[in-house]
Amino acid sequence: MTSLSLSLGPPALVRLHDALICLSKFSETVAIEAEPDILRLSALNSTKTGFASFAFEKGVFFEAYSFNSSNSGRSGNVSLDRFFCQIYIKALLSIFRGRIDKNKDTAVERCDMELHEDLQQTECRLTVRMICGLGVIKSYKLTYEPAAIQHAIFDKSKATSMWTADPRFLKQLIEHFSVSAEQLDMYSDSGRAVFTSFTTKITEGKEVLKHPVHTSVAADKRDFQEYLVEENMHVAINLKDFKAVVSHAETANATVTARYTRPCKPLQLEYRFEGVNAEFTVMTRGQADNDDAPTSTRATIPRQTPVPVPISTIRPRDPRPSVTPSMQMPPPPPRSRSIRPLNGSSTQENLSQKASVDRPAASGLSIEFDSLFVPADDDRQWDEMNEEEEPQDILGWDASGTQDAFGASIRDAEPSFSKQDSSRVEDPEDEMGLPPTQRLSQVRHYGLFD
Amino acid sequence: MRFRTQLRDSRTFSKLTASLSSLGKVCWMRLEYEVIRFTIIPDQGTQVWASIPVGTIFDETTYQLESNSDAINIEVNISVLNRALRSAWGSTHTQLRLTKKDRTPLLALTVLSSEWTDGNMALATNNDADGLGDPNPVAPTDTTGDQGPRERQTWITQEIPIKILHESAVEGLHEPHCPDPEVHIILPNLAQLKSISDRFTKLASTDSKSRQPGVMAPDAPGMQSVSFSTAGASTAATALSTNSSPKLELSANMHGSLRLAIATDELRIASVWTDLVNPPLDPAQMSQEQMSQLPSEVNRKRDASEGFESGWAKVRIDGKDWSRVLSIGRLSPKVVACFVNEMALVLYVYLPGNREGEESCLTYYINSFTT
Repeated sequence: MTSLSLSLGPPALVRLHDALICLSKFSETVAIEAEPDILRLSALNSTKTGFASFAFEKGVFFEAYSFNSSNSGRSGNVSLDRFFCQIYIKALLSIFRGRIDKNKDTAVERCDMELHEDLQQTECRLTVRMICGLGVIKSYKLTYEPAAIQHAIFDKSKATSMWTADPRFLKQLIEHFSVSAEQLDMYSDSGRAVFTSFTTKITEGKEVLKHPVHTSVAADKRDFQEYLVEENMHVAINLKDFKAVVSHAETANATVTARYTRPCKPLQLEYRFEGVNAEFTVMTRGQADNDDAPTSTRATIPRQTPVPVPISTIRPRDPRPSVTPSMQMPPPPPRSRSIRPLNGSSTQENLSQKASVDRPAASGLSIEFDSLFVPADDDRQWDEMNEEEEPQDILGWDASGTQDAFGASIRDAEPSFSKQDSSRVEDPEDEMGLPPTQRLSQVRHYGLFD
Repeated sequence: MRFRTQLRDSRTFSKLTASLSSLGKVCWMRLEYEVIRFTIIPDQGTQVWASIPVGTIFDETTYQLESNSDAINIEVNISVLNRALRSAWGSTHTQLRLTKKDRTPLLALTVLSSEWTDGNMALATNNDADGLGDPNPVAPTDTTGDQGPRERQTWITQEIPIKILHESAVEGLHEPHCPDPEVHIILPNLAQLKSISDRFTKLASTDSKSRQPGVMAPDAPGMQSVSFSTAGASTAATALSTNSSPKLELSANMHGSLRLAIATDELRIASVWTDLVNPPLDPAQMSQEQMSQLPSEVNRKRDASEGFESGWAKVRIDGKDWSRVLSIGRLSPKVVACFVNEMALVLYVYLPGNREGEESCLTYYINSFTT
């Protein structure tokens, strides 16, 4: 059983609300990740080009915070203590809207949130209780759903360009751009930081007056607190994302830092305030390389971010256990191999549990859900599962360094491998792109966006 | 073809474009040596013909215009131009020029925005820095993130796509011809007029759908307040005109009275202003004799005691359209309304702050709806 409970004071409630509003500009759902010391809310946009994440620190942000994972009793392995779910943002927002900063007697004095997940329970809910003045208590129960939470990985140490600026200054820059502008190009030109808004939508010929306005704003480098940017390198991001970040940073009064390397590589905007660490990783466009992209910035086809690393594939209660693994089934390019081990440590418990929980029903499920991917044939079906789990098992041992941690559940699953899958021994050589001894920490350096 | 100028008064220009953009998107802008003309002819609703002396918005000393036809005609999305001009607020140096990029003609607006900053955190103190605040700006240092107070300079470029119109394309366009008006009168404070008009329009809009226009019988003369009376007395209900939004009845006489009214089945309201000015006509434009023949002068000579019915001219105008027309009030102009009974309302809008020479004048042509 997993339980999460936390309390927020009125100022933190405002912060949480602001963060949710910001996240709602990226996605309709917010992913909630609970860890013993951190609660993280994140959102990935539908094109997977923008990822927003807010990490709230246990001691600073919350009045009270406690998280107990189902696993902790057995293993004591801290790195596995995570809980994932996702919630429709609008549902959460509607609770907080208008509850804050009222001079009424019934203003919210504290907000308690609780979540208990129990495999035995058919109904699990996120409970939000608003403790208001005059003894008024408002309770809400929200449904949430299990999720495959994905994180964009950004290696700050590799960033070659960075700037830091006050959000109000950035806001002033943004205000010059037309409302319909879609993209924001930035570059440095002889002592000036130039921000240009443009729209890639090409309206041909006759509709001249509907052509978008090009706006460029050239600010002095000294208006930035720090400005270390490669000269004349154009990097373009989605203006809407930038606006969302700046307007939130402004409410938090936090100085924004941008880090990036090259066009078509990710860019990260980051700021910290009051125990909150906000990170926004967005994909950039532009001329990837002087050689291989002769087209102009405007004409460049936007590249999507590579699919972010799934750090949790499926939680035990997921009713469709094989969907996510199946999507990874086609022979992945080398790179996705190399990042795959990240599945390892975090999902170890889930996968192993899934193995034990779901396997009894597996054949039925596979016919129902997997028919697109594998014939409803028992042997192949086991191949399927095998391919998915094996590297994770092997890597997982190394990553966690504690073999005993989930020994019990893994052992439950293992006999079934050896019994039913004769080809299993050969698989590692065919399938593995990584030496099984590679450590997770090493793997992280080959992050998603490198 | 060449056009380049510094802006003298970007705020007036911006407010002007804002008011114009409420009437329509596409604006025909005609750049001449002495005046800039803005014309908006929407598919329906009020059309406006504005003639602004170059010096009102542009800096005459830097104004450059070269064209074979002595004028440049362009078509511009006026709301886009207005949005772009917002960047010029509070700037000391703003240039507008005609240019070309990828074979697309553009109006390029280049703004040097300078504002005083405390330095710390590179904050701007306000948006209205006029750049004249400090004659001795602190010498800037070269370090990034300079912490001392200093003047911050930002260059902003707005490239507005436009269409060049050939002279032949605009030859056929001319201002509408109207009969001589029966009444001309200076409108009261536009803010007041607009808020009352909007209030009336809103009341009639929230009214039932079965609303039918009724002819409003004039109430007692000299009434300064709003009067309510229930419907039923004399509602000459006729078919609803094409546009379903409420119609305001605006009427005036040559004795300083203006009356704004609305009538539906459920309500009738009217506001009356008195003691307004009926300005004299310019004697330079016609002879005394001709002038005395004009219907407005005939009306002026009518004795007020003849009864208020006789000298009134009335038009029925669309409430929402009227509200958009009145948005010109942001420039606090003087407005002369000319009533052609049951046919049209022509507004001559004179912008304040005219220097010598030609006046800035916007002419609005508003059709009267029939009952």
